[in-house]
Amino acid sequence: MAFEKKSFNEVLKQREMREKAEKAQMTDDHIALDDSQRVKVLSPGRLVFKRFIRNRLAIVGSCILIFMFAFSFLGPLFYPYGQTDRFYKYENQMSDYAGAQLRTEFTNYAYGGITMDEEVARRVNSAIIALSSGEEEFSVINVASGNYLVTAEDDENIFVVSNCTQEDIASFTDTVTIGSFTTIEGKITYNAGVSDLGPRFYEAAVVALQEKTYAFTFGGKDYELRDYNKVGGTIYEISDRSFNYTDEEQSAEFETVVLDAVEAGQSSLVYDGAAYLISSDSGSYSISRSQPDQVVVVSTTYVFNAYERGKSFSDAFKASALLAIAEGETFEDNGVTYHAVTGDYNPEIVAEDGTPVAQLSTFVVRGADGKDNFDIDFKEAVKEAVETMEQKGEKTTVLTYPLVKREVVFQTDENGDPVTDANGDPIEIVVNVFDESGNLVYEDTDITIKKLANDYDLTCPILSHLFDINSAPSRTHLFGTDSDGYDVLARMMYGGRISLMVGFVVVILETLLGTIMGGIAGYFGGWVDNLIMRLVDIFYCIPSMPILIIMGAFMDALKMDPYDRLIWMMAILGFLGWAGVARLVRGQILSLREQEFMVATEATGVRVRKRIFRHLVPNVMPQLIVTATAGLGGVIITESTLSFLGLGVKHPLATWGTMINSITQRNEDMIKYTYIWIPVGLLICLTVIAFNFVGDGLRDAFDPKMKK
Amino acid sequence: MLKFTIKRLLISVVILFFVMFIVYALMYSLPTSYMEKTARELSQKPGSLKSAQEWLAELNAQYGMDKGLIGGFLVWLKSAAVGNFGDSWQWTDSVTNVFHDCIWYSFALGLICFILEVVIAIPLGVLAAKKQYSITDYAVTVFALIGISMPTFFVATVYKLVLAVKLQDWFGLSKPVFDISGMQGRDYVNLSEVGKFFDVAKHFVLPALTLVTVSIGSLMRYTRTNMLEVLNADYIRTARAKGLSEKKVINYHAFRNTLIPIVTILGGSLPGLFSGALITETLFSIRGIGYRSFHSMVAGDIPFTMFYLSFIAILTLLGNLIADILYAVVDPRVRLN
Repeated sequence: MAFEKKSFNEVLKQREMREKAEKAQMTDDHIALDDSQRVKVLSPGRLVFKRFIRNRLAIVGSCILIFMFAFSFLGPLFYPYGQTDRFYKYENQMSDYAGAQLRTEFTNYAYGGITMDEEVARRVNSAIIALSSGEEEFSVINVASGNYLVTAEDDENIFVVSNCTQEDIASFTDTVTIGSFTTIEGKITYNAGVSDLGPRFYEAAVVALQEKTYAFTFGGKDYELRDYNKVGGTIYEISDRSFNYTDEEQSAEFETVVLDAVEAGQSSLVYDGAAYLISSDSGSYSISRSQPDQVVVVSTTYVFNAYERGKSFSDAFKASALLAIAEGETFEDNGVTYHAVTGDYNPEIVAEDGTPVAQLSTFVVRGADGKDNFDIDFKEAVKEAVETMEQKGEKTTVLTYPLVKREVVFQTDENGDPVTDANGDPIEIVVNVFDESGNLVYEDTDITIKKLANDYDLTCPILSHLFDINSAPSRTHLFGTDSDGYDVLARMMYGGRISLMVGFVVVILETLLGTIMGGIAGYFGGWVDNLIMRLVDIFYCIPSMPILIIMGAFMDALKMDPYDRLIWMMAILGFLGWAGVARLVRGQILSLREQEFMVATEATGVRVRKRIFRHLVPNVMPQLIVTATAGLGGVIITESTLSFLGLGVKHPLATWGTMINSITQRNEDMIKYTYIWIPVGLLICLTVIAFNFVGDGLRDAFDPKMKK
Repeated sequence: MLKFTIKRLLISVVILFFVMFIVYALMYSLPTSYMEKTARELSQKPGSLKSAQEWLAELNAQYGMDKGLIGGFLVWLKSAAVGNFGDSWQWTDSVTNVFHDCIWYSFALGLICFILEVVIAIPLGVLAAKKQYSITDYAVTVFALIGISMPTFFVATVYKLVLAVKLQDWFGLSKPVFDISGMQGRDYVNLSEVGKFFDVAKHFVLPALTLVTVSIGSLMRYTRTNMLEVLNADYIRTARAKGLSEKKVINYHAFRNTLIPIVTILGGSLPGLFSGALITETLFSIRGIGYRSFHSMVAGDIPFTMFYLSFIAILTLLGNLIADILYAVVDPRVRLN
C-alpha cells in the first residue's frame, strides 16, 4: 500500500508481532481450534494445482509430456543427425560383375582410310548376312559410287570388303524358250523379250511339227520343239553355249566351271583366285571378273582379347590383324611386326619375339561397365563354364574363381592422416588388398552365371556403397535406419515436433474460433444465437475424416509443397473442429449470463466486448482447458492417421504417421522391420495417453464434485 | 412429442441441405482430374469422333458440371432426391448397386463391434465405479484410456503382426490363423456354403477386434462416470439406509438410473452401424462402404463420394434425433419443447 506512510514506531510494532508469532509457532501451545493460522488459505489456482498433483495418473501424464517435449524440441539440438541425413554403408551385394556373349553380329573395322557411304554400308551388311548363311563366297555390290566386293574368307568369322573394278570378260547364250504356237490359232505367241521372227519362222515350225522332225533351222540358228502335241508345241532356240570372250580367252575348264555354276543356279564363283559374277538376261549370260582394288572394311564377329590386361587396340590394328589372319601373314602396326597364328582354339596375334599379344574369339566377356578389364584366363574360365552349362542344358551355374580381394578403409592423405568430409567424419573408401610383399591378394569368389536370352549374366558379391536402409538398431543408430537410409531416432524427434505443433496449433485455432462464435451466440442470444447454432449443427454434421481425405487427395493432385500442405492441413483441421467448442462455450455463457456479476457489469456500463471476453470467457476457461487438452490427443491421432494414409504431411518432412506408413506398406517389411514402426507407434500412443491423463486430471482438479 | 419430432426432422432437412451444398462446393472446386482423364481416354479410343475437349464438355454436361456451382448442385439434388445418384466412376457400376453390394459387410462388422462393446464395456464400467480407486478401477481406467489413445492404424498393424504372423510362428502352425487382409481365404470357391460363411467370418475377426479395441474405452469411461454420479446421489444413500443389500442397491437402484444416459447414446449410435469403418475397412481390405468410399475419394469419384457423404450426414442427423427422442422416452422427467 503505497499511500501509507510508515513511521518508525509502526515498523517496530510489526517486528514485535512477527517475533511473537514465530514464538507461538515454535511452542505450539497457544493454538486454538479457530486460530486463523491453522487454516491454510489457498488461492483457487493453487487449489487446482494441489488437487492436480495429487492425481497419480495426471502426474505420470505430465512427466510423459515433459519428456516428449524435451525429446522433440530439445532432442534435435543435441542429436548429431538431422531428419534428412542419409546414411551409407559398404556391403557385399550381389551385383553384376560381367556379361558374356557369343557374338553373332559383325563389327566393321575400317582399313586404309576409305570411307563407305551409308547406303554401301547397309548393303555390305546385308550382303555379309547373306554370305554368312549361304554357300556363296562373295557378292558384288554395285552402287553409284562404285563397285564393292564382299568376300567370305576361309575363316568363317571374317569378311573382307574391298572396292573393285568390274570387267566383262565373256558371254554366252543358253537354250532359251522363244514361244509357243498352235496350228489352230495359226501364230506364235512369243515370250516376253523375244522379237517377232515373222511368218516364215512360223511356217518352218509347222513343217517341223508335221514332219515329226521337231527341229529346224532358221536364219542360221537351230530351233527345237518341245512339249509338243498334234497341233502345237513350244519352240526353243538351241545354243551350243559357246563363249564369246571380249579379251583373252579362258581355258575349257573355266567354261565347265561357269556352266556348272549356272546349272547350280549360282550367280558368282571363284576360279583361280579371282571372283567372277554371272549375270543372266533371258538366256544370254555375261560373265564379269571382279578385280579387287583396295580393302575398305574388314568385318568380323571376332573380338580381340588382349593378353595384357586392360589393353585395347586401334581399329587399324584390328583390321590389319584380321586381314593377316585371313591370309595367314604378318602385318605391321606402328612399325612393329606381328604374326597371325592359329592358336589352340582361336586365331592369335603374336609379336615378333613370340609373346602373345591378343587372342581372337567370338565369345566376349566384358565388365559390367562395358569395359574389357579381365585377363584372358578369366575369359577362358568363363567360356569353359558356359560351355559345360550349355552341354548340361542348364540355365545357371556357379564358377568359382579367385578375384581381387577388396576392403573398406578410411581414406588417408599423403601423410597418412585420415581425410574427413564437411562434417568432420572420416571418409571410407574401397581399396584392393595387398599382402606384405605388395602383391594383390586373391580370394575365391562364387560367380553365378545365368543364361539370358542371348547372353550370359555374371553376378557375384561385390563390396558396394549402399544406402544404409532398414538397418537394425546399433550403437550409431539407436533405433536403426528407415527405408530411405535416414536415422529413425532423428526422424522420431522431428516427427514429434510436427505432431505436437499440429496438435497445439489446431487446438488453439479451434478454441479461438469456437470461443468467439460460442461467446457471441451465448451472449446475444436471439437470432444471432439461432444462426450460429445452426451453423454449429451444420459443422457437426460434416464428416471430417472424409473431407480431410478428399482435401489430402486434392493437395496430392496439386503437388503442393510439404510445408504449405502442413499449414493447410492445420487450417482445415481447425476449421472443421470449432463447432464443439462453440457449443460448450455457448452453454456455459447462457448460464453465466444470468448471474449477479453480469448484472453488475451491465450496471457499471462495461463495454459488450469486454463483458464477453473479460468477464464471461475467463469463467469458461477451466472447461476450455480441459477440452483442449483432451482434444490435443485426438488431433494428434487424426494427423498421424492422415499421414499414415499418405494424405497428410509428406516426405521429406518426418511425422510419426508417415514413418509407420513407409514401413508397413509392404507386409514383408512390416513383419521384418518391427524395430522401426513399433517404437514410433508407441510414441504416438504414449503422447496421446499422456494428453488424456493430463486432461482427466485437469478436469478432476477443476471440478472436484466428480471426484467424490 | 410428435410436434418435437417433426420440428427436429424439418431442421435436419435444412441442415442436410446446407451440408450437402458445402460438400458439393468442395467437390466442385476439386480439379476434376477424373473427368479430364476419362475424356482423354474416350477421345483416344478407336472410332472416337470427338476431341478430348468435346468429350469433357459432354461429360460435364452429363454430370451438371457446366451449370455453375448452384445449378450443378440443384441438378445433383434433383436426381439424388429420387434416389438416383448416378454411376460410380471408380467402381463402374451405379452408385446404388455398389452401395447394396457393400453396405451389409459394413453393417455386419458394425453390429458385431456394437454388441461386443456393450457386453464388455458396460459391466467393466459399472465394476470400476463400484470399486472406485481400487486396482480394478485404475486398471479399467488405464485400459480404456489406452484404447482411446491408440490410432486405429497402429492397432490394426499390431494385430496383423501378432495374430496373423507371429501366432503361426509361436505355435508352429502350417497355416496362418488369420489372414493379414482380405475377406476370403484362398480356397474360398471350393468351400461349402457353411464353410464360406465361416471363412468370411474368420476374416472379420481382426477388423472387429481392432474396432472394439479402439472404441471400447469411451463407452467404458462414460458408464463409469455416470455410475459414479448415480452412486453419489441421495436416493442411493436412502436405499442403503433402508438396509437394502449392496447387490440390490447396485443392480436395481443404481444401474437402472445409469442406463438412462447410456441407452440414449447407444440409441444415437445405432444409425452409425451403417456408416462403415473408413480406416479399418481400408486397412483390412474389407469391401464395405468405408473401403469403397476411401478409394472413391482418393480417385476423385464424385458421384460415389457425394452419395457417401450425404449418407453419413443423414446417419449423423438421424443418430442425434434418435438420441434426443430416446432421452425423453427413457427419462420421464425430461420434457421436450
